[in-house]
Amino acid sequence: MNRWRFKRLSTRGLLYGAAILLALQAAFPFFWMVSTSLKPPVEVFAQPPSFIPHHPTWENFWRLFTSTGFLTYFRNSVIVSGLAVLLTMIVSAAGAYSLTRYEYMGREKIAGLILCTYMFAPIMVVIPFFILVKKIGIENTHFALVLAFTSFCLPFTLWLMRAFFKTIPVQLEEAALVDGADRVRAVIYVVLPLALPGIIATSIFTFILAWNDYIFTRILITSDELKTLPVGVQDLFHSALIDWGLIMAAGMMITIPALLFFVTVQRYLIRGWGAGAVKG
Amino acid sequence: MSIVHRYKTGFPTLPLRVYHEHMNMNRPYHSIPKSLAKPLVSSEVQHQISKSKLKRRQQLAGYLTIAPALVLILGLTLYPVAYSIWLSLLEKHSFFPQERFIGLENYFYLWKDPEFWSSLWLGVVYSVWTIFFQVILGVAAALILNETFVGRGLVRGIVLFPYMIPTIVAVILWKWLLNDTYGVVNYWLFALGIVREPICWLGADHIMLSLIVTSIWQFFPFVLLSILARLQTIPPELYEAAKVDGASAFHRFIHVTLPQIRGILFVVILLRSIWMFTKFDTVWLMGEGAGAGRFIRTLPVYAYMRTLTYYQAGLGAALAVIMFAILVVCTVIYFGLFREEADIG
Repeated sequence: MNRWRFKRLSTRGLLYGAAILLALQAAFPFFWMVSTSLKPPVEVFAQPPSFIPHHPTWENFWRLFTSTGFLTYFRNSVIVSGLAVLLTMIVSAAGAYSLTRYEYMGREKIAGLILCTYMFAPIMVVIPFFILVKKIGIENTHFALVLAFTSFCLPFTLWLMRAFFKTIPVQLEEAALVDGADRVRAVIYVVLPLALPGIIATSIFTFILAWNDYIFTRILITSDELKTLPVGVQDLFHSALIDWGLIMAAGMMITIPALLFFVTVQRYLIRGWGAGAVKG
Repeated sequence: MSIVHRYKTGFPTLPLRVYHEHMNMNRPYHSIPKSLAKPLVSSEVQHQISKSKLKRRQQLAGYLTIAPALVLILGLTLYPVAYSIWLSLLEKHSFFPQERFIGLENYFYLWKDPEFWSSLWLGVVYSVWTIFFQVILGVAAALILNETFVGRGLVRGIVLFPYMIPTIVAVILWKWLLNDTYGVVNYWLFALGIVREPICWLGADHIMLSLIVTSIWQFFPFVLLSILARLQTIPPELYEAAKVDGASAFHRFIHVTLPQIRGILFVVILLRSIWMFTKFDTVWLMGEGAGAGRFIRTLPVYAYMRTLTYYQAGLGAALAVIMFAILVVCTVIYFGLFREEADIG
């Protein structure tokens, strides 16, 4: 009996140990980022390192806002991500509606084709994309960037939205139609409200993808005042002495919006995950 | 379909084909003048006519609503990828419009280019190690988080953080942790007496290891969550039965869990392989400014550099095409090897 209890206790102990380890490996780097960003420059480079800042200060954030282009990058990121979400949502909602509500030749082929492009990695698309964009003459514009994000997100947003639309019974729409609503009103008042969790989930995934993107922005945007956050922050490294306090403050400021969105979407996450909504 | 259906269920109806022959017309139904159609057909058939008209209209609406998505995907993803095949046959400067057709010259050049072979090798090393550990850690962590314990929800949330943050943040976090003079990792190793002098984590000898660790940290939550989602759907009775039969935890994993997660594991390994082999941002950002960047110059990074450091768009495109070809071949082989799993997944 005692041996059995001992064995049980040690299994529980191992389980909790492993769980704590899992949480720590994910959380510690963030904790360290927060801690560094709140330290004055002298303390950043102190040996031994202090885990809780002895003299916490907002100095790094202040410098970030006043002496770098951070606010411009932030604004650009918000604009580009916002527009990408808007365009992606409209196009993929229409597409998903088409794939689930209308019958026409080649419908399944189109769906399959779209899923295939899900396999294309950014690096394979972005080089020819860059050359083509130069040919049309829209290089170095937010417009090109929004188009790139939208076409890149579309395969999975469309696929996810299709999965959501499939779960909404057609009979509900038909009832609305019988009651005298036209197609557009039936969609706006019946289908979209029911698909709301899917719409929220896909829009947040698109936002995170656009917000986090590095490669498209690096290649398509050349002028400093059009850069988004990841590229702008990367360029903070191009000084002789790396100002780690400043960089960690910048890291904090990019991470917070992404994490906020993540926490909001968590409820929908598992459902979306099943449909393959996260890429990277 | 509805016609046949109605016919079978005994509705008094005339198959459209019969009606069609009777009218001796090959024109579409909706073009039949109403005055002509009216006296000849029953109201039921007329219902069918308006239905077919409706069907055409439906088709049109279907095409119209999918069109924007299709145009964007065709124009901005498929066309560029096809164009890169053409581009790979050209000698072209990345910024100037001049271009010259040179056939397979770019491919011949790469065949003799030692940097290409080394980038291919580094890419394979990077992918194999990161995928291997992501899968092992992901499955192990999923098994742990599938057990019941206090604070499980919190831990489940926290472990996903690294996957959700921008790559640039993941990279600067790890560059700071691994900093040779001020980094915490070296400080701990030193404090614990494991090393006597600081290790240069971003130097030539260790940069690949640092990159692999960073990538595993950043991407294994994807495996974790995919597997966890599947684990939650396994009926607990299976485990009960195995327990009654006296199976140990290890045997339960091999004989109950593994067969259940095989399908999703197949998909996850496929996706992760594609994404790791073509991973650009983590690798590029890790190597940037580190001085030892060329020791982690994988195929995607090399393609980028050919295009935007040496301005040889043709060579860059050729590299992208080779990458794509390797992926296609590997995917086909993978599907062939694991045909059974592919069916489940």
